[in-house]
Amino acid sequence: MSLFGFPQPKAWKGKDLPRVLSRLFDVKDGHTLAVARQHSAYSTLSKVLFDRAPFQIINEVMDSGLRGRGGAGFPTGMKWSFVPRGGAKPVYLVINADEGEPGTFKDRMCMMRDPHLLIEGMINTGYALGVRTAYIYVRGEMLPQIQALNHAIKEAYDAGFLGENIAGSRYSLDIYVHRGAGAYICGEETGLINSLEGFKGQPRLKPPFPAISGAFAAPTVVNNVETIMAVPWILTHGAKAYRQWGTDKSPGSKLFSISGDIAKPGVYEVPLAMPYMEFFELCGGLKGDLLGCIPGGSSAPVLTAEETAKTTMDYESLAAMKSMLGSGAVTPFNTTRDPVLLLQSIARFYAHESCGQCTPCREGTGYVDRVIDSLVDGHGRAGDADLIKSLADQYEPMTTICAFGPGAAWPVQSFVTKFKSHFEAYIQRNPKHAEARDLVAVRPGAFW
Amino acid sequence: MADLITINVDGKDVQVPPKIQLIEALRQYAKVETPAFCYHPDLSVAGNCRVCLVEFSGPRGFAFGIACHMQTAPGLTVRTQISSDKVKWARRGVMESLLVNHPLDCPICDKAGECTLQENYMNSGRHESRLPDEAGKQYKGGADHRFTDAKGVDRGGKKIDLGPTILLDQERCIVCSRCVRFMDEVAKSSQLGIAGRGDHAYITTFPGKPLTHGYDLNVTDICPVGALTGKHFRFQQRVWTLKSVESIDPSDAFGANITIEYNNGRVWRLMPRRNPAVNKSWIANSTRLLYQKLAIDRLTDARVASKDVDLASGVLAAQAAISSARKVALVASGHGTIEDNAALLALKDTLGDKAEVFGGSWLSVCKPDGIALSGDPVANRAGLALLGIPDNLDQLAARAGEFDTVLVFNHDLWAADATKAAKLEAIPTRIVLASWLDATVAKATVAVGIRAWAEIRGSMVNSQDRVQLMQAGPVVPNPALEPPWRVLACLAGATWASETDAFKAAQSRAPRLANLSYRTIGPMGAVLPQPALAAAGA
Repeated sequence: MSLFGFPQPKAWKGKDLPRVLSRLFDVKDGHTLAVARQHSAYSTLSKVLFDRAPFQIINEVMDSGLRGRGGAGFPTGMKWSFVPRGGAKPVYLVINADEGEPGTFKDRMCMMRDPHLLIEGMINTGYALGVRTAYIYVRGEMLPQIQALNHAIKEAYDAGFLGENIAGSRYSLDIYVHRGAGAYICGEETGLINSLEGFKGQPRLKPPFPAISGAFAAPTVVNNVETIMAVPWILTHGAKAYRQWGTDKSPGSKLFSISGDIAKPGVYEVPLAMPYMEFFELCGGLKGDLLGCIPGGSSAPVLTAEETAKTTMDYESLAAMKSMLGSGAVTPFNTTRDPVLLLQSIARFYAHESCGQCTPCREGTGYVDRVIDSLVDGHGRAGDADLIKSLADQYEPMTTICAFGPGAAWPVQSFVTKFKSHFEAYIQRNPKHAEARDLVAVRPGAFW
Repeated sequence: MADLITINVDGKDVQVPPKIQLIEALRQYAKVETPAFCYHPDLSVAGNCRVCLVEFSGPRGFAFGIACHMQTAPGLTVRTQISSDKVKWARRGVMESLLVNHPLDCPICDKAGECTLQENYMNSGRHESRLPDEAGKQYKGGADHRFTDAKGVDRGGKKIDLGPTILLDQERCIVCSRCVRFMDEVAKSSQLGIAGRGDHAYITTFPGKPLTHGYDLNVTDICPVGALTGKHFRFQQRVWTLKSVESIDPSDAFGANITIEYNNGRVWRLMPRRNPAVNKSWIANSTRLLYQKLAIDRLTDARVASKDVDLASGVLAAQAAISSARKVALVASGHGTIEDNAALLALKDTLGDKAEVFGGSWLSVCKPDGIALSGDPVANRAGLALLGIPDNLDQLAARAGEFDTVLVFNHDLWAADATKAAKLEAIPTRIVLASWLDATVAKATVAVGIRAWAEIRGSMVNSQDRVQLMQAGPVVPNPALEPPWRVLACLAGATWASETDAFKAAQSRAPRLANLSYRTIGPMGAVLPQPALAAAGA
């Protein structure tokens, strides 16, 4: 059985690979409580959690340097520290399992193979933040994952790990699974909260931030599945042990979901700061000659082959390449692929998924999509590549409520800039490509 | 009033109140014109049109933010289009985005001339389209909101019937969500919503359900483009040909502020006039459609003994009837202005003991709706009380036998309560001053036409003790018609030259009006001083 790359190698280049998150991924029936307990599931509840004060838990996670794995990479401990304590309103924990970034398929693996680790992480986090009620917002299409979660939650309730007085402590937690309706934007934390509350999944204006006023106008922490699943390991082994992997600013391990022109696509847990080329080797090697690589999900700016070769898989290295680690979805593509068609597909996705609130993103994503379509259809004219980029520029610099605008603009800007010759080749296919259209670019000066 | 704080706008320090929306601070205090589509001062902040964006100083240098959502705070530093090329560039980008899927049909659009999109394009866009023909536009709307044009192109619907009052042009909508927020927050009846996502998001009602609400025409005012239009005004007039005067709702004691818009001898529409203390930006559909009655069934001349005569003969007949009368009942009108009723009181003074003033109304009062109607159809009820006119109309019905003449102005007694009014038929001489051929005119022995509410200048006191002005629109069905106060003053023998004299006469009777004038009342009205304070001031 080789599903999603598992079983993956236990060690790489003489060093053990981390198994913080993927411990049970290739264990038969690892999703059941009985098997999970044989592999020390819920061990944090007796030893390391309730003997410590909540602030100590937050400090431990802060010391570990764990960063949000959903895409933005915000330090998790810091996010928790923003939550006001002892207020009149309850604090909610919401797990973002609306995994929708194209190329990303790690969270569904986590929920399918080790739901009890997620529940344990939620109990840890809930205790640290004083949460009584937590939600798991799962993308609507992930039906098997929802079933797995519900099964695991029932098992946990029956075993006394959820509900009143967890494991004999004074701490109580209830978990609800909320099924989304399949919109990419519901992965944005305030869009997710709106959807959770029953409203249209559209991001909210900030401030107030969710840590102050989120779900049901109460303080809310929204964390990715993978982030929360790392917490039990950190509490058991300590922040220092977590820092054995990765760099100072990007410590720990991460799940990467690799697809595209690679021999063994799948989900791999590797230390952060592994070079991309080494990672490709780990995944069985590239197919064909590398043309470029989308390093962190479709919204991350694309890297050329040369850039990929000198980049490591951590937040800082990718930021230096003006790209981002994102959700850890790695998509290498070889020279047989057409970057224009890749971008067409990505632009179509963002035009379809823009929530429809902010003008620049709502109209801009569709505008870019249609211009790329007309280019692919052979109607391109000289200057169209620049037109496409300048249109994307207009929704890139946070002129919108949420980060969807920038996320939709980055692939457009990077593809057009880095693979411009491919776009020019499409333009050349139009026999009238050199003729100007009957329209004039923005007239300079006619302004105020 | 809270203490002012200092913010910095384009390098200049500006004193503004704390915690107000930055867009208001920019517009009112810094005097920087700031465009907006989705922002409306009387609705919640949606922040989705993004055209008001400015640069503000944050922890990581200047960043874009929207002025409608940001609140003023000490030390806030803002760059607007005046000092920042980035703001200009970003705003032009927003304008390009708004227009890319908007049809270029201004010449046939009913909103042209008062369209925010058109105005802002002229101010901050002025670009020419970069949209390749082959790329085409994205037309909005679901299957029931689309049509195929003559060229076979599938397009958003141009004339979608949303309900009894409103049509929707789906192509023109820029999804600012103002109408949705109005229905949610003001009308409190969530009948409109946005379906779909991205550039194919569109405004719609629930499937098969119409948009019907007593205030739904307000969405046509707040629609920044020509997407929502009222059936009553659609394609009637080009808005730039309309002239306007400020008035108030004569049909309700709330006194919603309105604008009368007219040209070429006809009133074409009534628009809400923003007054944060009264009706905010809203008026009821019933108020808005009052203008439709202004040109129909008018009493434009006089009638004496069922014969049409000219107005002067009618006034002479009324004068003769009053002077020969033994005992006259003068009926004040809560539908008339303070000036009209002051003239009635002057007539009472002239006639001395042989006249008696009655006031009040037989119309029933409902509950206030919390938006722009108080439920009391007697618009100037508080004004009558102010002038010391008693609420004793029932007494007149009971004692009808004591009188041989009754004078009614601007008051349809027979329509309000025909049973009670029938007792007045015992009075042989019934003089009626009225604007319309109503049930009371039908019972009159002498009827004289007067100007209607849209044609007179005067003041009324609303249910919140606020005295407000009506200005006269110059549209009168017969130029010889006079306002009621002038006819009454003529009967009283008073030599009042204008409404100002009538108002002064009212002031001498109502101490609480003493310190006011038309100028101090102004377009926004003025709250009457408390009786004790007025006495001390006088």
